[in-house]
This record gives sequence, structure tokens and C-alpha cells, in this order.
Amino acid sequence: MYTQLIGSLQKNVVLPLEKVANKVFTQSYNPFYYHGALPNFFIWVLFISGLLLFAYYTPTLERAYNTLSYITHELPFGNAIRSMHRYASDGMMIFVMLHMLRVWFTDRYREYRILPWLTGVILLSITFTIGLSGYMMIWDQEAVTLTYITANFLKQFPVIGPSLSSLLLGGELVSDFTLTRLLFLHLGIPLLLMFFLWMHYLRITRPVTDPPLALNLVLLGGLFLFCGVFPVSLGDRPNLQLVSPTLDLSFLYAWPQYLITQGWSTGVVWLLVLGVPVGLLILPYIQKKALRGQFAQVLDSSCTGCSLCYHDCPYEAITMVDRNDPTSRFKRLAIVDPGRCANCGLCVGACAFKAIEIPRRDSQDVLKEIEMALNS
Amino acid sequence: MAKDKKVIGIVCERSVDLTDQLDSNGYLKDNPNVKIVTVPCSGHIQPIMMETALKKGACGTFATGCRMGDCHYREGNKFLRERLLGTRMPKLKPTVDKRRVQAYWLSAVEYEKFKDLIHQFDESLDTLGCPEG
Ligand code: HEM
Ligand code: SF4
Ligand code: SF4
Repeated sequence: MYTQLIGSLQKNVVLPLEKVANKVFTQSYNPFYYHGALPNFFIWVLFISGLLLFAYYTPTLERAYNTLSYITHELPFGNAIRSMHRYASDGMMIFVMLHMLRVWFTDRYREYRILPWLTGVILLSITFTIGLSGYMMIWDQEAVTLTYITANFLKQFPVIGPSLSSLLLGGELVSDFTLTRLLFLHLGIPLLLMFFLWMHYLRITRPVTDPPLALNLVLLGGLFLFCGVFPVSLGDRPNLQLVSPTLDLSFLYAWPQYLITQGWSTGVVWLLVLGVPVGLLILPYIQKKALRGQFAQVLDSSCTGCSLCYHDCPYEAITMVDRNDPTSRFKRLAIVDPGRCANCGLCVGACAFKAIEIPRRDSQDVLKEIEMALNS
Repeated sequence: MAKDKKVIGIVCERSVDLTDQLDSNGYLKDNPNVKIVTVPCSGHIQPIMMETALKKGACGTFATGCRMGDCHYREGNKFLRERLLGTRMPKLKPTVDKRRVQAYWLSAVEYEKFKDLIHQFDESLDTLGCPEG
């Protein structure tokens, strides 16, 4: 049932959308085909604009707001850079989610793709944490309120709640340590992002990590437009005794806090915060396996060790090993890792020696079918 | 004579959807001289398959794969294109008459376009002439 649902989503939603996009952008620039590369554009913008902001930011109770105010009101192009950073963070979340939906709806997320999927869910959680800490670092009245709501939310977790809250605040109460913690989250967690991105690409041969220049320019233009038309603002100087009466939260990053301000119970919001990533982690396992353990088979006696299949395999499933066999004319041999093999047959197309086959379609049968059609 | 004009199409099962377009022998209903052979991915196609089709008397041969950028296995269509253009091993033999070899990159929902392209190819083969069966 679920398999059919995914299949019909692909056929009735994704492919028709892509068909339209092919008309608008042409095949070479169709953003759908750069779903994985697009978040990387935002990572670059965030990194560069973030560095500039970091040059002025001082993480203390006394000075954090002042530096934000200086960046926003006095520093030449300061607010433009702040706006860039803000809108790129929104873009990042949106495009990461689109990337996720696309690999999900086109059934590119399970079996031999399990590592990119699982690391992807971690990347999503990391992105979320980085963005949220960024909103708190602004340290105006709303940011302080957001920090209070978040700390309180963490505190409600059974048993370890109070520790979680004091991990965030750097103690029982808001202090200079709080801002150091926020800065650590905002700059330290991106290192984790880099680590998991590396893992994300580990089993993908030649990942397409960069959108074409033209798409980058279009996105950059879009960002500039947003920054020009809707420059971001800074709220009131914080009074730690007060909470902000109005909260204009980014739903993308602060949705749990938003739900809490809407009167949702903490328990339900916790269920969501934990349930969404756990659900995503389980998702690939609920579908029946399509391949049932099939994988490419090397015919040892025919393999010349030429490495063509090794270079062309899109999922790093082939390794070349020494034969250690003095009776053979050939030194090397291709070996397939069953867990990584997609059963795709790209190695069959690459092999000129009839030495590798996938069980579901023998290349000799294809040839026979062709010959039979021409003999009849 | 026209009866002998055979075209062999090796199609990726994920690109243009032909499930309802074939007769019981695997020939295209809209173009009955076109025999369709299915493979799991255009990257599975060896140039020798297309060479064999021409050598054994087909008037033309074509392959289909998904839109460039949308290969389910990431790079299959790109590799086939490079093999046919002669920039990736194993290559299509340079002596093969390129006018009789085509490749189309179409998604599952683009049958109408496929039909037009095959029709054009078929007509161009008529002007080239076909080997007598
Ligand atoms: C920081 C954010 C992310 C970045 C920069 C990123 C980047 C990429 C890139 C460049 C690829 C390779 C595309 C290709 O060449 O075929 C890829 C593949 C993939 N990503 Fe992500 N990704 C991110 C987050 C996610 C998330 C949140 C998920 C899902 C939970 C995810 C799931 C996948 C899967 C399953 C693949 C394999 C697709 C295939 O084999 O066709 N990624 N990602
Ligand atoms: S392409 Fe064929 S001959 Fe070359 S290493 Fe792979 S299986 Fe062996
Ligand atoms: S079928 Fe061949 S090319 Fe495809 S993943 Fe398996 S070993 Fe790699």
C-alpha cells in the first residue's frame, strides 16, 4: 500500500512537476536535478555571511545586544549581511526539506541508500539546532523570551530535563555563560554538520555537490531581493525580568516554541520534537525490500581486472582486489559488496568482457531478445 | 520491403512508460516495426547491444533513459550517452552509422514526446534506406 502510494506520488506529482520545470529551466538547469546540491549553496552563503557577523559579535550579557545593534544600525552593509544570513538560513531549511521530500517521494531513500538517509536525518536535526541557537543569539527581548521558553521546555523532560536546561543556559539562570553556550552551539555544531556531510557522501560516487553557476546566481539574486525588500530588524534591548508580549518566531526553526506559545502542552510538543526524527529514521524500514538481497555477480574466470566497473559504480559497491592466483593471466579482480549494491547494472554497461551480471537482467538475454526479433 | 524494416529500442524501465503501449510480442502499437527490449537502467546498456542490432539487420536502433540529472541510479544515462559519443569505455564502434543510432532522455510521463521522436526517427530511416531482410 505504502509502496503504491510512493509510486503514485512520483508519477502524479513529482514527475509532472519536473516536466514543467524542464520547460522553464531546461534540463541542464532544472533545480529538481540539483536537490542535493542546493543546500550546499546556502551553506556557503551562511558560512561567509556568518564569518562577517562573527567578527563583531561579543557573547556577553552586556554586549551581545550592543553588537547586534551596531551591526544593524551603524556598520556599513551590516544589516544587509545580517539579512543575508537570516534569509539564507530560511532557504537552507526549505531546500534541505525539499531535498528530503524528493529522495523520499522518488524512492531514493532505502536499502543501499540507507547511509545517506540516516545521516540526512541527523543533518536535518543539526540544521535545526544551529538555526534555533542563531535566533537566541540575537539577544533582543524576543530572543531572550525564546531562550526562556526553550530552557523551560527542556526542563520539562522527564529525569534529565533540568540538566538539559542548565546545559543550554550554562547554569540555573541566564548569565554570560548562556551566551557562550549559544555561540558554541552555533559555531561548534556546524563542525558536526561537516562531519555528517562527509558521511552523507561516503557511499555516493561523485556526489553532485554544487549547483550550476546560473542557478547559484539566480538564488543569490533572490536572496539580495529579499534582503533589499524585507531587511531584518532588531527588537528592544532585553530586560531579563520581562518576557516579550509578542513573539514573531520563525516557524521553520522555532516551531516547537511557537506551538507552546499557542497553548500546546509541553508533552505533545516533546512528542513531536522527538517523534519527527525518529519517524524519519524508521521510515526506510517499513517498506518491503525491493531487491531481496540481489546484487551484481562477477564471473571470476572472465574478469580481466580492468577496473571499468569499479570506476562507474554509482554507489561505491565495487572494490578491486589482488587475485593472488598464479594460474590466472590477470592480476586484479572485481568484488561486489552486497550491502551497497543497487542492482542497477551500471557495471554491466561498463564491462566489455561479459564478466559481471545483475541477476534480474542478464545481458546475454538482452542480446538474445534482440537477435530473435531480427531473425523472425 | 517495409515489413523488413525493423527498429530495435532498448529502453530503461524507469524512463518513458510503455506498459500500455506494447503488443503481446513487445512491438510498439503506434509503430509496429519497433521492437522494445527492456533493461533496468540505461546504464545497463552495452554499446555492443546496439551494434548487434544493426549487424543482425535492424534498420536502426535507439535507447531511452531518464532525463539527464534524474537517473534513478544517478549516472546511468550520462554514461550511456558518453559511450555512444565515444568518450567513455566501452565505446560504440566508430564505424557504426551514427544516423541509425539514437538515444532519448525522457521521463516516465513523456510518452507523447517519445511517440513523436520515434516517428521522426522512423521517417529518417526511410530516407536512409534499409538493408533488405
Ligand atoms: C545539510 C543538508 C544536506 C546536504 C547538503 C545534502 C547533500 C546531498 C548531496 C550532494 C547528495 C548527492 C546527490 C547526488 O549526487 O546524487 C545527497 C544525497 C542524498 N541525500 Fe542529502 N543532503 C542534506 C540533507 C539530507 C536530508 C535531511 C536527507 C533525508 C533525511 C537526505 C537524504 C539523502 C539521500 C537518501 C541521498 C541519496 C540519493 C541518491 O542516492 O539518489 N539528505 N545529499
Ligand atoms: S569491468 Fe568487467 S572485466 Fe573489468 S574489472 Fe569489472 S568485471 Fe572485471
Ligand atoms: S549493480 Fe553494479 S554498478 Fe550497480 S551498484 Fe551494484 S556493483 Fe555497482
